[in-house]
This record gives sequence, structure tokens and C-alpha cells, in this order.
Amino acid sequence: MTTTQTQRDYDSLPVSSLSFWAATAEERETTFRELREKRPISWHRPLEGSLMPPQQDGIWAVVRNEDIRKVSKEHDIFSSAYGVQQEEVPDEILDAAQSFLGMDPPRHTRLRKLVSAAFTPKQVVKIEEQIKNQATRIVDGLLDAGDCDFVQQVSKKLPMWTIYEMMGLPMQERESAAHAADGMVSWADEEVAAGREPGTVLNDSLVTLLSIGLEFAEHRRAHPADDLMTNLVQAEVDGQRLTDEEIGAFFVLLSVAGNDTTRNTISLATKAFSDFPDQRALLLEDFDGRIGTAIEEFVRWVTPVMTFRRTVVKDVELHGQHISAGEWVVLFYSSGNRDERVFTDPYRFDITRKPNQHVGFGGGGVHFCMGNMLAKTQLRAIFDQLLHRVPDLEVGEPSYLVGNFVRGVKSMPCTIG
Amino acid sequence: MSFSDDEEVRRYIGGIFETAFKDEEIGPKLADTGLVLKFAFTEPDSVLIVDMVGQRVHQDAESSSPGATMSMKGETANAYWQGKVNLPFAMARGRITVDGNVADLLKLAPMAKKLYPVYIENLRNDGREDLLV
Repeated sequence: MTTTQTQRDYDSLPVSSLSFWAATAEERETTFRELREKRPISWHRPLEGSLMPPQQDGIWAVVRNEDIRKVSKEHDIFSSAYGVQQEEVPDEILDAAQSFLGMDPPRHTRLRKLVSAAFTPKQVVKIEEQIKNQATRIVDGLLDAGDCDFVQQVSKKLPMWTIYEMMGLPMQERESAAHAADGMVSWADEEVAAGREPGTVLNDSLVTLLSIGLEFAEHRRAHPADDLMTNLVQAEVDGQRLTDEEIGAFFVLLSVAGNDTTRNTISLATKAFSDFPDQRALLLEDFDGRIGTAIEEFVRWVTPVMTFRRTVVKDVELHGQHISAGEWVVLFYSSGNRDERVFTDPYRFDITRKPNQHVGFGGGGVHFCMGNMLAKTQLRAIFDQLLHRVPDLEVGEPSYLVGNFVRGVKSMPCTIG
Repeated sequence: MSFSDDEEVRRYIGGIFETAFKDEEIGPKLADTGLVLKFAFTEPDSVLIVDMVGQRVHQDAESSSPGATMSMKGETANAYWQGKVNLPFAMARGRITVDGNVADLLKLAPMAKKLYPVYIENLRNDGREDLLV
């Protein structure tokens, strides 16, 4: 890959400032709408502040649904192997945290395959009953607790239980691991940082997760069981066992992807039902018949992962813009999920929307969300319980996480009537 | 393999920074970080203070207040500067401990990467293939 940087003017609309990412999704959408309409590919400053001094002159913003799909599918041009964040992250962190998310085929394919078998529809059906039982217990807890913080009491529990149950992580480690996974996406949030620098938040969280993951891997080598960690410690790729570093990175990736996506979808879909009670009523009229399309709409509406980045490895042209090898392209899924070229009335929360070509699980291609079936199963189970057993559930204003990656809800008050 | 004594640590690990300070590209970038780092080594015991602003390496721990202290065995330091040790992993396994602001160390990462070949070259030039990882 050769790198050619060209001097060019930055777009007048911001997508890189800290204030942009501290604003609400609705406020950001006014920027995305204008970019979608007038400049589908636009050149912006590197992300402001944060982890380390930028090494790039800027980023290309991709905001239309169709373009996000194109870039996602063409992994031979738009590589994940140089990092997938909108901002510069030290290589040391990337190496320890990304696993196959930060790789291209063929290595990506070989590593993803080691765990993807556990996430197929057939495998997910096998644990569906357990997920339903957990959802029931979580809603039992909500009814006992009464008015409370919905995130702590409900949203975070099911994803945490599910991913760590699949991995086989001992119960006593789960809270700390999930908390550290949160830290991995919270480095830009001053409240979470509590005076620490962003790099310290990220590194502290990573070191905690790796410590838990490596100790757990050691335990599973000595005491194999029927779980994902046992599969990993026994797996071979090209005749070689995975290194501790590879296993640790798997643990980090699955912890973050498993906890911080479905949780926020549960929180913000619940908020949507509070805001649009007609949609709640509509779903309750025929839960089994409508939950399928409803879940797709939850993911579109919430867009829990807001951005991923690719690095261009061969010169390419998009909408007449020449993009040189070495430059960064950022996919703005939040924008792609409000694209009026694809969605009729994109600002309407419509649980019957069909077709629903959202990019909430990614734009297709090799990095399409491996856990999408698992997420859908969890969403179905928890909303079945919530809507049927807590009919007067209402939530207040969410407190949002500041950051450019995950659309996180730190807390959200709820009343159960 | 590790260093045999404090003098070797001084020569090889300290030498990395002394070479870097003279480098037209890396030297000013290191100075811009405004950092003072302390390295506390065991096996062999040794202390190095790297003053990025003053562009010097010394062993007088009393004279500077470091922003961060990295503690590790000599063997780990040798591997680290050849790009063979991942900092978060080493911290998770207790092979490196950091007292102070770890964010500063991460900001150094892009420059540290450029120093790996410098270190390897220094070892080769001194006929110290025994230290290559």
C-alpha cells in the first residue's frame, strides 16, 4: 500500500469535533441529512482530541445507505486491517483488543470461523429457552424493584448473561468483565473517565478484560467444558493452537460486541415505545406476527454502533471523489439508517416497516454482525416479557454516553406504574 | 536473554533514546511530549530517567519527577524495544507495571515503533545477536 496525501479543503460541516459527538443523535442527523443530499462523500478533519495525536490529515465520511453497503462489501479495497475506529488508536491497543474485527480475509475468515459456529441460527435456537428464562427472571426483578434505573435493572443484564454464559465465564467474574467492556467504548465520556485521560480509561479497561480472559483461558485448559472458551483454547488454525494474545483479543471483542450493542438497543427501543405508544399497542395486538419486523426497526431506529472505519488500500473513486490508498473512510451507520433514498418516512418509528434495509448490523460483507441472530433472540425474549408483564412501563430521558462509536445509554429512569 | 548488568541496561536501553534524540524527525516529537519517564528494571537492577524535554537519559532518580514509571525485568525491556511485547498484555500478566499516567505511554507508541529498528540495529552493530528475540 502506498500513501498519497492530497491537500484539500475540509467540509464546512463538522463530524469530527467533540461537540458533535456530545450532541444528540437527532442533532447529528441534521448534519448527516445535508451531507447525504449534497455531498455523499466528504472530507473532514481528524477526530478532535482524544487518545493520541492524529497521524492522518483527515477522514472521508460515507453517509448514504447504498455507499455504506458498497464499502462494507469491498474488503479488498476498504481494509479493516489498519484499525476500525474513527480516531487514531495506539497499535498496542488494537492488537490486544480487535481480534478478527480488525482483519481482512483470509486471516479474518479463519479466526471468525472458530467462534461463528456458536452463533448460527441453529445453535442460537438451542439456547433460546435459556435466554427466555433469563428474560423472565430479569423482568421478575424489575417488578420487585419498582421504579429504578432501567439500564442497570434490565438492559445490561440479558446481554451480559447471554454472552458470558456462551463463553462459560464464571458468574462471579461477569459484572467486572461487563464493566470493563463498557470502559472500552467510554473513553471519550468525561463522567466515566472521572478525571482520567481517555487513553488511561481505555487501557485500564483493556488490561482488566485481558486479565479476566487470560485467567479464564488458563482455567479452561485445565478444566474443559462445553463452552466457547474451551473451543478457543483447544482450537487450531493452520495447525497451530491460538496464542494467549489471540485468545485474549477474542475475549475482549466478544465482551464488547456482546454487551454494548444489544443493551443499548433494549434501552432505546424501550424509550421508543414510551415515545410512540401507538407502536407498542400495535405490537401487542399481534406480538408473534409483528415482532420480527419490529426487531429490525429497533436496530434501525437505535443504530447501536454508529461508526466503523476502513482504510483504503488501492486508489478508488466514490461519487467522483478520488480517494488515495492509505486514506481513511468512515461509515456512518446512523446516517445510513435515516437515508430517505431507502426509507419512506425515515423519522417514523414503524414496527411494521418492510422492507427494512437498515445497516444496523453492518452493510453486509465479511464483517456483517456475527451475533445478529443472538441479538434478535434476546430482543424478542425481553420485549415479550416487558410488553406483556409491565404494560405501564414508562421511561424518562436517557443519559447518553459521549463518544463516536457506540450509541450508549448510561442510565435511564423508569416507572412501572 | 537479558542484560548482564546496570551498565548494559544504560548502554542499550538508554542508547535507544540517545539515538532518538539526535534523530531529526523523532527527536523534536519526543521533546513535544513534555514527558519525563522513569524505567525501573530488575534482573539486573537498574534505573533510567528519560527526560524528553531536556533530551537526556540519566540515572539520578532524585533529580526529576517522572510522569510515569514503568517497571519490568531486563529481559522484558529487551523484548519490548524489539517490538515483541504488547503493553496491555504485559500489564495484564503483571510483566510490566505502570505507575502514573499510562495515557502518556500510549501517546509515545507511534514513536516507540520507529525506535524498534534502531534498537535492533544497535544490538547488531555491537555484535549482541544473543539479545535478539
